[in-house]
Amino acid sequence: MNSLEILTLTPLAAGLMLLFLHEIVPNNTREKATELIRYANLGIAIILFLLATQIGFETDWIDTWAAGNFGGQNAYVLESTPVSLISSIGVTWHIGIDALSFPMVWLTTLLIPISMLVQWDAEKGAQFHSLILIMEGALLGVFVVLDLFMFYAFWELTLVPMFFLILVWGGADRRYAAMKFFIYTFSASILMLIGILIVYFHSAPAGDFTGTLTGHHFDMVSLMQQSSLIDSAGLRMVVFLLLLVGFATKMPSVPVHTWLPDAHVQAPTAGSMLLAGVMLKMGAYGFLRIAVSFFPQETVTMIPLLVFLGMASLFYGAWVCLGQTNLKRMVAYSSVSHMGLIFLGIATMQPLGIAGALFMMFAHGLISPLLFAVCGSFKHHYHTLEIGSMRGLAHHSPFMAGHMMLGWMASLGLPLLAGFVAEVAIMIAFWMTFGWWVLIPALTLILTAGYYLWSMQRTIFEGSDPHRGILPDTMHGEEPRDITWHENVGMFILGALAILFGILPAIFFDMMSNWSSGLVSEVLIDALTQLEVTP
Amino acid sequence: MNIESPLLASPLLGEVLRPEMTILIGIVLLIVVPNLGNATIRIPMTKFRIPVFLGGRRFTATSDPLIPGVISMFVLLLSMAASLMTFVDGHELVNVCISASGAIQQGCTGSDYILRSDPYSRLFTTIFFFALLLGTAAMINRMPAFVDAKAPHPDDTGATRIHAIRRLLNNRRQGDFHLLILFVALGMSIVALSTHLFLLFIGLELASLAIYVLVAFMKEDETSGEAATKYFLTGSVASAITLYGMSLLYVWSGSASNYATASLSLVGPNGLAATWQAMDSIDPLAAIGFGMVLVGFGFKISAVPFHFAAPDAYSGTSAPMALILATASKAMGFAALIRILIVMAMPEYGAEATWLILVGILSVVTMTWGNLAALSTENPKRMLAYSSVAHAGYLLAALAALGSGMAGAATSRLLVTAVVFHLLVLSFFKSGAFLVLTLTEMKGDDTNKMESLYGLGRRDPIMAAAMFVFMLALAGVPPLSGFLSKFLVIDGIVTASTASGSLSAGGAIEWLSSVHWVFWLAVAMAVNSALSLFYYLRIGQVMFFETPRSIRPLPEAPMIRIAVILCLFLTVLAGLGPFSQTLVDMATMAAQELLRV
Repeated sequence: MNSLEILTLTPLAAGLMLLFLHEIVPNNTREKATELIRYANLGIAIILFLLATQIGFETDWIDTWAAGNFGGQNAYVLESTPVSLISSIGVTWHIGIDALSFPMVWLTTLLIPISMLVQWDAEKGAQFHSLILIMEGALLGVFVVLDLFMFYAFWELTLVPMFFLILVWGGADRRYAAMKFFIYTFSASILMLIGILIVYFHSAPAGDFTGTLTGHHFDMVSLMQQSSLIDSAGLRMVVFLLLLVGFATKMPSVPVHTWLPDAHVQAPTAGSMLLAGVMLKMGAYGFLRIAVSFFPQETVTMIPLLVFLGMASLFYGAWVCLGQTNLKRMVAYSSVSHMGLIFLGIATMQPLGIAGALFMMFAHGLISPLLFAVCGSFKHHYHTLEIGSMRGLAHHSPFMAGHMMLGWMASLGLPLLAGFVAEVAIMIAFWMTFGWWVLIPALTLILTAGYYLWSMQRTIFEGSDPHRGILPDTMHGEEPRDITWHENVGMFILGALAILFGILPAIFFDMMSNWSSGLVSEVLIDALTQLEVTP
Repeated sequence: MNIESPLLASPLLGEVLRPEMTILIGIVLLIVVPNLGNATIRIPMTKFRIPVFLGGRRFTATSDPLIPGVISMFVLLLSMAASLMTFVDGHELVNVCISASGAIQQGCTGSDYILRSDPYSRLFTTIFFFALLLGTAAMINRMPAFVDAKAPHPDDTGATRIHAIRRLLNNRRQGDFHLLILFVALGMSIVALSTHLFLLFIGLELASLAIYVLVAFMKEDETSGEAATKYFLTGSVASAITLYGMSLLYVWSGSASNYATASLSLVGPNGLAATWQAMDSIDPLAAIGFGMVLVGFGFKISAVPFHFAAPDAYSGTSAPMALILATASKAMGFAALIRILIVMAMPEYGAEATWLILVGILSVVTMTWGNLAALSTENPKRMLAYSSVAHAGYLLAALAALGSGMAGAATSRLLVTAVVFHLLVLSFFKSGAFLVLTLTEMKGDDTNKMESLYGLGRRDPIMAAAMFVFMLALAGVPPLSGFLSKFLVIDGIVTASTASGSLSAGGAIEWLSSVHWVFWLAVAMAVNSALSLFYYLRIGQVMFFETPRSIRPLPEAPMIRIAVILCLFLTVLAGLGPFSQTLVDMATMAAQELLRV
């Protein structure tokens, strides 16, 4: 077992065990057990974060792929020895990470303890925190496996803990939201599965990976190296579109985004943080890892579609944000808007643009959890999410107001904060490829600034009485409080990292641009020259 | 003295048929042991009395009502182990045939055998014995025996009286139930072993008649009599049609004037398979006979339109019996159907089978009808019955792909493997689902309403979680075993239908028009699987998110709980890892053996 396998399998095993443990302890010790299980979950999550950090430090991410071998053999760090799982159909336990997946892995291990911390006092804490740990295992699995079948299995597995998090700990309308979330994303991934199966049926035998009965395999590395994966151009396009639907729904992109606002508004804070922070990125990750890498030609052909989807998400998300009165719903739509930027970054077909998209995935993964944590504590302490029902937050809860301000600023792309780096990279690349069309996304960012500043003004500052502010009716005379220490710690870490990666983006940006130039120069280049698109 | 007994003529016979012999011994024991007593016979004219041990005042030790259950489980366990021996490396009697005279043919080189003990038949007998074992285990708790049951006190009235009477009744019928179960086991294994249609029919009837009685067995339930009547009437009509079909085949196999060559054996120079192959164009007599035979097996596997009795039978009878109907009985139908379709009426490679269109249409209608009906029912047992119909459709799709004549040797093997493996794993998760239903119906809840499952997650979290896993496996969610079996079927169909090498066609439309139409069966199967998710997940939804209608915990029932946990482990392990590979290898051995004939 190498350290990556430990990292992936520990949370699943530990989470399931702790969940089960809570069921079997006798009733009179249950209180104590709940407390212990919570600490155990947090402890394991922190240890895993340290392990991921150590993996990050001891690896040289720049040279993970050799020239001419992008995504192929030895292009992954900590690649495990393949173990046959279902040898009859060629399913293998084969994991490894590269510059595309490591930032996501690190982000996941970071967000898990923070989301536990932010909702430390959740009801039924033992189950809550164990589910989050199981969620971590499923998410890490998606990012590390190099086998299409296991990718799909982990992809679906992430739905289960999230479904229960929304359903059991969610808001008033949680049942509807959980069902919608499940059915919507599940249907989309069925389409993705069909795409994966068509790829599977076209895989050529590849040594030990090959299924003993079927003669095909699911191994991504071998598939990357297989020349002419699917001969029929029409079928290739079908598969690409099937995969695109699956991934775009997860991201989510307009017009398949409608599950997201409902799920976010009803989800518990920790659930929202993971949903926005990591789960949405699965879509972008899968798109780059599978759809773009396996079907470069179709990607290039479909650039107009990608641009359209990106623009539509970016603009529509921002436009809808302007009209929101619910704080959490606004943040949710802002996620749709930012995910649009990822499509735009990929569509530029520039190493810089793709690296910008990757950095956007990462930066949004830091910032949006911060936003949702703020929304969560706002709801927790003021029992409402209505923008404008509360004025003068800065007076009553200065820490919450401070975190809110930092988060809002980072999200709207203030220089020296992480979001800015990504936006600038994507805009420059967009200009290089599409020229003055860049004005559309650039001007849309003004809308972003608009809705954030407006909501901030109406929540944090404004108040008829500068010393009292306006308290929402839902307080029922309760004294306003500031955030608790554990919420504060969680938000502080996220805010500090948003600043750190705004000042020193090179920590991840270098390896991301290295990976992106690999993708462009090794995978996409043929398709680009063939279609006379200049990178 | 020269005894021409087959048993003595070939001592190997007992070894080859060890599972069946074990069951026969079990049947004898079940009859004898509870009746042991102190009866004596007085030698005429004397005062000497010779004890005969049968009848009289029964011994306390042997008249224990728990004994029949123990014997039956023990016998089924031994038979299952004996069946599994075939798959152990280095086992000598892997492939043995038995002729009508009792002669043993190792390697099945002869042509006049009527029973064939090979991996194919032994895998099926394993499935039967396992499913029957689970049913028996469940029944031991469902219909518990009480050592200290007493006749009701004359003053007792109402519920107390009924309770006492029921306990006595349960004790009385222990022997009957387990005896019938063993007869089912014997009949089913004859079906799996026989390569002779008449013998096959005898096995089928032996099993069916016992099952008719078993369906009606819990006669204190109002519905079980109705269920059994429906099942019996439909089933006996189906059997009659099968028998008539067989007689037509018999007539057809001989020539009009010379019946010496007429035969119902599938193998051999005069066998049905050879006659079928020699036929230039399809003979109406053969076609009608063949079609009629299919009707009978269509009933057993509950394919549309012969399925109408199945939902009533499943929902009317007790859950353990529904388990046996859904797994063992269905596997028996398929064991025979595959033999008939593949061994007897399989065309040469490249030619379409005569039954292709029939089975293809049957398949798509069956799976769609089953799923649509399951979607609209609010009765868990009925839902499982319709899901069983749908699964029959999936397996028929695999058989259709075999009949398309497009499947090469490897693909044919894959398809048969998929069917056999599916039936094998079905006996894990379908059984598991019925076992959980057994638990819910024991305390008198009406399991024919979805309400009986409401809030099961709160009443018994572990059983509810197990039930949820079974539902996911039935739906075919990866990486459970239900997924693997469905995947193998789809893989086989796709490989067979696209075998014409047209993968390089330019456009998607051209590609789709170049594949054999059997391909659309795989598509229908995928669509149906997605559709089926709704009703399977509905069970999960009501278990976890509805308020329970009853707060009573589920009964203790240790045997059922053990069986459920066993099924749970098997369901998960059969989908992933080395154990799954072992099972697939066993199924592959079976497929290889079947296709070799």
